[in-house]
Amino acid sequence: MNILETRSLSHNFDGLRVLTDVNLNVLQGEKHAIIGPNGAGKTTLFNIITGTYTPSQGKIFFKDKDITGLGPCNIQRRGMGRSFQITSTFDRLNAFQNIRLAVLSNRKIRFNFLRFVDKMTDVSLETIDILKRLNLFDDRHFPAGVLSYGKHRCLEIGMALATNPDLVMLDEPAAGMSAEETHTAVELIQRLTEGKTMVIIEHDMDVVFKLADRITVLHHGTILATGTPEEIKANEQVQAAYLGRLEE
Amino acid sequence: MEAYIAQGMHGLAYGMVLFLVASGLTLVLGMMGVLNMAHVNFFMLSAYLGYQVVAWTGSFWLALLIAPLLTAGAGILMERFLLKKVHAFGPMAELILTMGVAFIISDGVKAVWGTQNLPLSPPGSLSVLVNIAGVQYPAYRLFLIGLAVAILLLMALVLYKTRLGMIVRAAVADAGMVDALGINVPLVFMTVFGAGTWMAGVAGVAIAPILTVSPGLAAQMGMDAFIVIIVGGFGSLGGAFLVAILCGLLSAFGVQFLPQYASVLLFVFMAVVLAIKPEGLFGEKES
Amino acid sequence: MKRNLIWTLWAAGVAAVALFPHLFGVYYANALILFAVWALFAVSLNLLLGFTGLLSFGHAMYFGTGAYGAALALNHIKGLSIVPAVIIGMIAAVILALLIAPLVVRVSGTAFAMLHLAFAQLLYVLALKLRSITGGEDGISIYPRPDLNIFGLLRIEMNDQNFFYFAVIVIAAALSFLWFFTKTPFGQIMVGMRDNSKRIGYLGFKVTYTKAVVYAVSGGFAGLAGAIYALLQSLISTNDAYSMVVSVYPIMMVMLGGVLSYFGPIVGAAFFALIDEWIGSGQFQQLLLKLLSLLLPSSLAQRVSDFFQFEMILGLILVLVTLYWPLGLAGFIALQRMRWQMRRVSGGPQRSAT
Ligand SMILES: Nc1ncnc2c1ncn2[C@@H]1O[C@H](COP(=O)(O)OP(=O)(O)OP(=O)(O)O)[C@@H](O)[C@H]1O
Ligand SMILES: [Mg+2]
Repeated sequence: MNILETRSLSHNFDGLRVLTDVNLNVLQGEKHAIIGPNGAGKTTLFNIITGTYTPSQGKIFFKDKDITGLGPCNIQRRGMGRSFQITSTFDRLNAFQNIRLAVLSNRKIRFNFLRFVDKMTDVSLETIDILKRLNLFDDRHFPAGVLSYGKHRCLEIGMALATNPDLVMLDEPAAGMSAEETHTAVELIQRLTEGKTMVIIEHDMDVVFKLADRITVLHHGTILATGTPEEIKANEQVQAAYLGRLEE
Repeated sequence: MEAYIAQGMHGLAYGMVLFLVASGLTLVLGMMGVLNMAHVNFFMLSAYLGYQVVAWTGSFWLALLIAPLLTAGAGILMERFLLKKVHAFGPMAELILTMGVAFIISDGVKAVWGTQNLPLSPPGSLSVLVNIAGVQYPAYRLFLIGLAVAILLLMALVLYKTRLGMIVRAAVADAGMVDALGINVPLVFMTVFGAGTWMAGVAGVAIAPILTVSPGLAAQMGMDAFIVIIVGGFGSLGGAFLVAILCGLLSAFGVQFLPQYASVLLFVFMAVVLAIKPEGLFGEKES
Repeated sequence: MKRNLIWTLWAAGVAAVALFPHLFGVYYANALILFAVWALFAVSLNLLLGFTGLLSFGHAMYFGTGAYGAALALNHIKGLSIVPAVIIGMIAAVILALLIAPLVVRVSGTAFAMLHLAFAQLLYVLALKLRSITGGEDGISIYPRPDLNIFGLLRIEMNDQNFFYFAVIVIAAALSFLWFFTKTPFGQIMVGMRDNSKRIGYLGFKVTYTKAVVYAVSGGFAGLAGAIYALLQSLISTNDAYSMVVSVYPIMMVMLGGVLSYFGPIVGAAFFALIDEWIGSGQFQQLLLKLLSLLLPSSLAQRVSDFFQFEMILGLILVLVTLYWPLGLAGFIALQRMRWQMRRVSGGPQRSAT
């Protein structure tokens, strides 16, 4: 069953065509990777699905409901969470407060003016639990803006996951990380998304083949192929356009 | 009918001067992201300097030449020694700083020249009435319109025909661009800031014979100029031009038909535009 | 042990306030109320500036509307007691905030500041023109000050001393409420919006509604400050309510005290009250003149010291503070504390080179 489906999605930026006729299917419970060279339109696709832009053409269905044209906030409330390629945290709040905002979001505590947030024990406990799983517990008092790059990225991913979404969309979670940091991050993602549906954009093929059940290849704004890692590896078109280059 | 034409000319003259002031404001805002709250105080300062030059030399033309240059110098000093230093603290700090400078100028002007209205008469050759299509019209206002048009043409020429103009337009459209091009940004900023205050200075001296020189000058022009750039859309010169002329006409005809509420009319206009288009008529949407 | 200390401090504070009018007389009691009014006004502005990242250049709108709201209510409703009058002022400010909110919640930064400048000016002009309602430049007076009427059971006459207690208690309650407000879950979302309003949206919080709520709360409490101000002065005029400098006062207090702290603006208000008193009483001018006479011939010294009128000093402070003390007193203290902590925590986090 599809949890997410885009139907002939196209998008232009001031006349510049970035996406053309994209039909993406994400199955309930699968780990779906999107790969493609720089500028292929991966982030733009994410932005359109999560409500940053309204697509020029086409429709988006999430849990069989049309979500085309809804804003980020409404789409999140329907159960889709995302992380960003360019880290986007609350830099002057500490790590604890960052995650706590995600926990508050998950519990739908939005317009509550009646209690001290520090005294909401269940919220704090859940936040601490998540921080521990992210290996950020010892850094919880530091403002997000001063965390080391790897930890800052972990926080970025952690915030998306802490909202406990039905579908999580991660945009290059390991971007800019060292090999070692990438390894830790991948394990973390595997652990935290167990049993959940995930769409992940990733450049590192090892990571993709390790994480993904299915892969979609995006090239110049169109889908080149979709299939299992084996099918993608065997696909000649993909090899010509993309993989071949990497294996040289 | 004749009254309409006369009012229309009044409105046009005021609108042109308004645009002279507003264009500097909007260029600086678009390019440097700084809203210069002291901009209209420079406009006022120039009117006072002009008055002083006339008092000393008796020549209006000399005043029109010297006062705006001195004003531009003051503007450049402020950009160099104050604004640049707080740039790192973000736009709020810059706003507050320019607000402080606005207070300093307006109180400084009062301390030097007092609070009374000072007259500044137009040069003799221009204090006559001319007949246009049967309407007697003060020659000075025609000169004012001509002067404003000349400066606008000059600005358009610089903006669209020179390398500097190209850089400025690129920078207004996308602030990151200039850095990427590796251009001497501080110099460009300084030039734009200086040119902006110079235009405000010219407007200040030029309008003084019509409005008289007083400490209220800044507030009077200030609100109109701010409304022009809000309604026109931040950083949009075309928008500012259109709205400035509209504002001039609106206040001229407002005075005639709704004398009590002429000053409120502009705000109503602003509120209506913003309710429909919060980014202004020609503004870019905030992302 | 620590609990006892806190209680003792509390008791001492309450006793000091209770005894204040007896010890220092009406003049200083009124000065203290004025400080409290400024403190509430500054904190309400900082709810927007420091906690939500929105600079309002027209907060006088709400201060003035609260003041006029209370004054008009008292002038038009016979026998109105002081509490409903203050509440009416506050509600008037909240209504204004809710009217303006749809226009301003969609923007931020410079645009937000500009719009406020314009709207505040609109109210200023309107208040001047609608002379029959507002009394124009002369303003409207509140005389006599209304009694405090508690459910018809108890009537307390609002003489200067009782008004002092009333004002201090109301403002202390308001400041405590606002402090609590910043500590609620909503307060967290507000601060998150300051840092990164985009991400707040992606976390499922409605940025516009959140802004509108903060805005209304901020406006309401600025209105409360204005209402108390009107009652203190027994008079409110367009210049005291809506003029541009009134909008700049709280900005200056926040800058002096520090944007990033709840209590900073209160300290800033204290600075401001002192400066205001110092200049208003002419002491500053005299001192300046004395100092200048040492250096310059007396006529020149007179001229130079005349230069330093109120707005000039306001402007100089704004410039100097933004240049040299951009985070205010609170920021300065926080910075020192952080340095000290960083030195203690060996190997704190460091940005890697990537
Ligand atoms: N807001 C925008 N306005 C105009 N053009 C844009 C915008 N965002 C992206 N683009 C353009 O769209 C194209 C696709 O960009 P996108 O960021 O989606 O690529 P990507 O596949 O995520 O690349 P990368 O691997 O580098 O992250 C690029 O050519 C980019 O310049
Ligand atoms: Mg991308």
